[in-house]
Amino acid sequence: MKKALIITLSLTLVLGTVFAASAKKAGVLEIWTDKVRYEILKPITEDFEDDYSVDVELSQINYDDIRSQFNKAAPSQEGPDILIGAHDWTGELAQNGLLEPIIMSEDLKEKFTEVSLDAFTYNDNIYGLPYSMEAIALIYNKELVEEPPETWDELMEAARELTNPEEKKYGFVYPGTGDPYHTYPFISAHGGYIFKYEGGFNPDQLGLTTEGALKGLRILDKMYEDGLIPQGIDYSTSQGLFTEGDAGMWMTGPWAISGVKEAGIDFGVMKLPPMDGNQPKPFVGVNGFYLSSYAEDMVLANEFLTNYVATEDVMTELYEEGNRPPVYKPVREKAKDDPTTAAFLESASVGTPMPNIPEMNATWGALTDKLQLISQQKQEPEAAMEAAEEIIKEAIGQGEY
Amino acid sequence: MTNLLNENNYGLFFKLIFLGLLDAIGIWASVLLYFQGAYGFIVALLLGAATINYVFLSDRTYPIRYMVPGLIFLFAFVVYPIGYTFYLSTTNYGTGHILSKQQAIESLKGQYYQPEDPVSYSFEAYKNNQGDIKLILQSNTGDKTYLTGGEKLTEVNLGNERFVDSDEDGTIESFGDYELMSRTEVIGVLQKLQKWKPEANGVALQMSNLTTFDQRISRYEYLEERDRIRDRQTGELFRPEEGTFVSTTTDRSLEPGYKATVGLENFSRIFTDPMITGPFLRVFTWTFIWAFMSVLTTFVLGLGIAIILNDSRLRLKPLYKGLLILPYAIPAFISALIWRGFFNTNVGIINTKLLQPLLGLSPAWFQDPLLAKVAVLIVNLWLGFPYMMVVCLGALQSIQPELYEVAKVDGASPFQQFRKITLPLLMVSVGPLLIGSFAFNFNNFNIIFLVTRGEPPIVGATTAGSTDILISYTYKLAFGGQGATQYGLAAAISIIIFLIIGTISAINFHYTGALEEMSENV
Repeated sequence: MKKALIITLSLTLVLGTVFAASAKKAGVLEIWTDKVRYEILKPITEDFEDDYSVDVELSQINYDDIRSQFNKAAPSQEGPDILIGAHDWTGELAQNGLLEPIIMSEDLKEKFTEVSLDAFTYNDNIYGLPYSMEAIALIYNKELVEEPPETWDELMEAARELTNPEEKKYGFVYPGTGDPYHTYPFISAHGGYIFKYEGGFNPDQLGLTTEGALKGLRILDKMYEDGLIPQGIDYSTSQGLFTEGDAGMWMTGPWAISGVKEAGIDFGVMKLPPMDGNQPKPFVGVNGFYLSSYAEDMVLANEFLTNYVATEDVMTELYEEGNRPPVYKPVREKAKDDPTTAAFLESASVGTPMPNIPEMNATWGALTDKLQLISQQKQEPEAAMEAAEEIIKEAIGQGEY
Repeated sequence: MTNLLNENNYGLFFKLIFLGLLDAIGIWASVLLYFQGAYGFIVALLLGAATINYVFLSDRTYPIRYMVPGLIFLFAFVVYPIGYTFYLSTTNYGTGHILSKQQAIESLKGQYYQPEDPVSYSFEAYKNNQGDIKLILQSNTGDKTYLTGGEKLTEVNLGNERFVDSDEDGTIESFGDYELMSRTEVIGVLQKLQKWKPEANGVALQMSNLTTFDQRISRYEYLEERDRIRDRQTGELFRPEEGTFVSTTTDRSLEPGYKATVGLENFSRIFTDPMITGPFLRVFTWTFIWAFMSVLTTFVLGLGIAIILNDSRLRLKPLYKGLLILPYAIPAFISALIWRGFFNTNVGIINTKLLQPLLGLSPAWFQDPLLAKVAVLIVNLWLGFPYMMVVCLGALQSIQPELYEVAKVDGASPFQQFRKITLPLLMVSVGPLLIGSFAFNFNNFNIIFLVTRGEPPIVGATTAGSTDILISYTYKLAFGGQGATQYGLAAAISIIIFLIIGTISAINFHYTGALEEMSENV
C-alpha cells in the first residue's frame, strides 16, 4: 500500500516535470559566444529581443572549446542555433553536416568585402556571416625604431642594430618558433602557399616546396642563423619582451594591441614590409556567425543574421566594441580613422584567407615541426619542407584530419 | 509479512523510502530518456533498478546487498567505458563522420537547389478566431496570387470583393473572418510556418524569411528499399560504403558522411601505416626509459630524504616535511607550465640567473633532443619525489629498530645495514608501488605535453618528437591538428595502450605475490 502510494506520487512528479519541460516557448534563439564577444553581443541581442519579442539565450563558452563542443552537441540537438567562430572551421563543420548555408540576397552580399565572403564559402555555399577580419602586421616600438623599415632588408638591418642577447635586447620577435600561422608571410612573400587556391582550396595541390616558398624560408633561415630572431619564443614570451621595451619590432595581430597600450609603449603599426620587392601575404582570419543545421527556428535565426546583425548600426557597434577591422563596407570607412585599425586593415587586405577546408587540420602539426627544424638550424628549408609535404600528403590520403 | 514484523520497523521504513526514491528517480530518468530516444539506456536503467529492488527486498540475496552498489559503479565507470571505447575503435567516428546514418540522410534531404529562373513569393499572414492561419502569396513576377492554408495552393483574384483593402495601400486587411496578422504575431507562429511546403507547379515553396517564400527543390531523396540516395538534379545514385555515400557511376561522394562500423580497420592501420610504425620503436624505447628513469630518480631522491628525515637526531622535522611535500601539493598542471618557462633558452631563469652567470653556459634545453629529455626528467623528479618520500617514510618506520641494534652488535657498517636490512624490507612494501609508479609514468601524458609538447622535432618524415612518449605521440596522431578528431583511431590506440598497461599490471601482481612469499620467509 505504502509502496503504491510512493510510486503514484513520484509518477505525478515525473510527468509534471516532463510536461513542464516540453512546453518550450516559441521563438527562442540560442547563441554560443566566447567571453569577449559575450559582452559585445549582450546589448545587441537585448535590442533584438525587444524588437521581435522573442527570447535570446547567450551562452558563454571558452573560445577554444566552441568548435569541439559544437561538434558533440549539435547532432544530439543540444547545440545552439547560432555560434560565433573563425572562418577556418567552415570546411570541417560543413563536412560534418552541422552547418546551414546562410541565405543572402545579392544586395546584402554587395555590402561585404569579397574576401570575407570567400573565406566562409565551401562547396559554393556561404556558411557564415562575417563581421571582422584580422591579419598579423608589424608592431614597432617608436622609441627603439625611429624610422619604420620600408623593406625587409631595412627590417633586418634595424634588427641587427638592436639585437644584443647578452642584455636580453632583441630587434625582431614573433610568437612561436615554428608557428605556421605567424610564419606564413615568409612562405607567401615570393608566391609560396600551403594549398593552391583555384576558386576553392585544392587539398591535392601543395605549395610548400615551390621556389617561392623556399625563397622566403631561406630568409627566415638566415635570420635565425644570424641570431636576428631568438629561439624558443612563444606568444607570451614575445609579448613580455615587447611590452617591457626589450624588443623593437613584434610581428603579430590586433589581439596584442590592448596589452601594448596598457604597458604604455609608444607604438606604431604597419603592414609587413616587402621582401625583395614582394609583399609578404599574412593569413587572413575572418570572424563570423555560423548557423547550425540543427537550429530549431531557421527563419528567425536567418532573420537575426541577415536583417539585424548585417546592418550598419549593429556592425558599427561590433566594430567599436571589438576593435577588429570590419568587413561590412559601410563601416570600413569609419575604421580608417584609427591609424592602428587602418594599418591592420591594410595588412589584411594584402593577405590571403587561411584555407577553410578540413584538410588544413592535417598541416599544422607537420609544419610546426619542420619550421622548428629550420629555425634550430638542423635542416635546410628544402629538405624540411619536403618532409612536411610528405607527412601532409600521407595524412590527407589516410583521411587523418 | 510475519517475518517483517520481527524486524526493526524503522529499518523497513527507511528501506522503503530509499527504494521508493530510487525508483522515482529511475522512472523520471527513463521518461526523459524515452523522449530522447535512448532506449538502450532505459533497458539498462530499469534492469539495474529491478536488481536493486530485488536484492534489497528478498531475504535470499541478503549477503550481496552491500556489494551491489559497488558492482553497479564498477559497471558504470569501468566496464562500460572500456566497452564503449572498444565499440568506438571499430567505427570511423571522426571528422566528416559524426552523424548517425539517419541524421546524415536527413541532412542530405535538407539540401536543396532552386530551379532555373526561380520565382519568389512575398506573403501576408491572416488569422481567424479559431486560430487558423492562411497566407496570401504574391509572386515577384506579379502574375500569380495564391491563397494557402499550408498544403494546397488556390489561385485567387484579389480584385474579388471578399478581399477588403479599405485604405487601398495594396495590402489586404481581411477576408471572410480572417484578419491580417502583425509582424509580432507572425514571429509567434514562425515555427509552424517554416514547416509549410505548399506546392506550385510541382515545385515546393518554403519560407526563407519573414516576408518571403521561395521555390526550393530538395536535392536528394532516399530510396529506402534499395538503401540508395538519388540526386534529383543529376539523377546519379549513391550507395553507402563505410560511412560515406559514394556514387555508383562517378567518383563523387556526398557530405556529410555518417558513423559506421569499419571492423578492425583502425587497428590494421596502426600496424601497417608507415607514418605510425616508422617511429614506433624509437618512441616505445624512450617511453620505457622515461618511465624507468622517472621511477628511479624519484625513488632515490625520495628515499634519501626519507632516511635523513627518519634520523632521530634531526630537529624541526614537521617543517622540513611540510616544505618537501609542497611540490606534491601544487597542481601538476601549474608547476609543469612554470618549469617550461624556467627552462626557456633565452629568458628562462635557469639559463639567465643560474647557468649563464655561474658557469657561462646557456644550453638550448628544448632544442636539443638529449637536453629536452633531461629537462622533462628533472621536472618529473621535482613533481614526483614527495610521493616517494612519504611512502618511504611510512615504510621505514615499520622496520623494527632491534634489527639495526643486532646488526651493530655484529659490526655491520651503515652501508651494510642499508643494503642488507633497510632496502630488502623496504622493497616488500614499496616494491609494488614502484611498479605502479612505472605504469603511471608510462602514461604520464600531462608532463610531456605541458613541458615539451613532445618537442624538439625529429628530422625526417615523421610527426613524432624526441620527447614523445607513446600516449603523447598517439594523441598527436589522433588529434594532430587544430580540432582534428579521429575518435575511432584514438579509441583503437587507447585499447592497445590499455593492453600494454594491462600486461605491466599483470606482471606487477605476479611480482607482488612473489614479494609476499619472500616476506613470509624473513
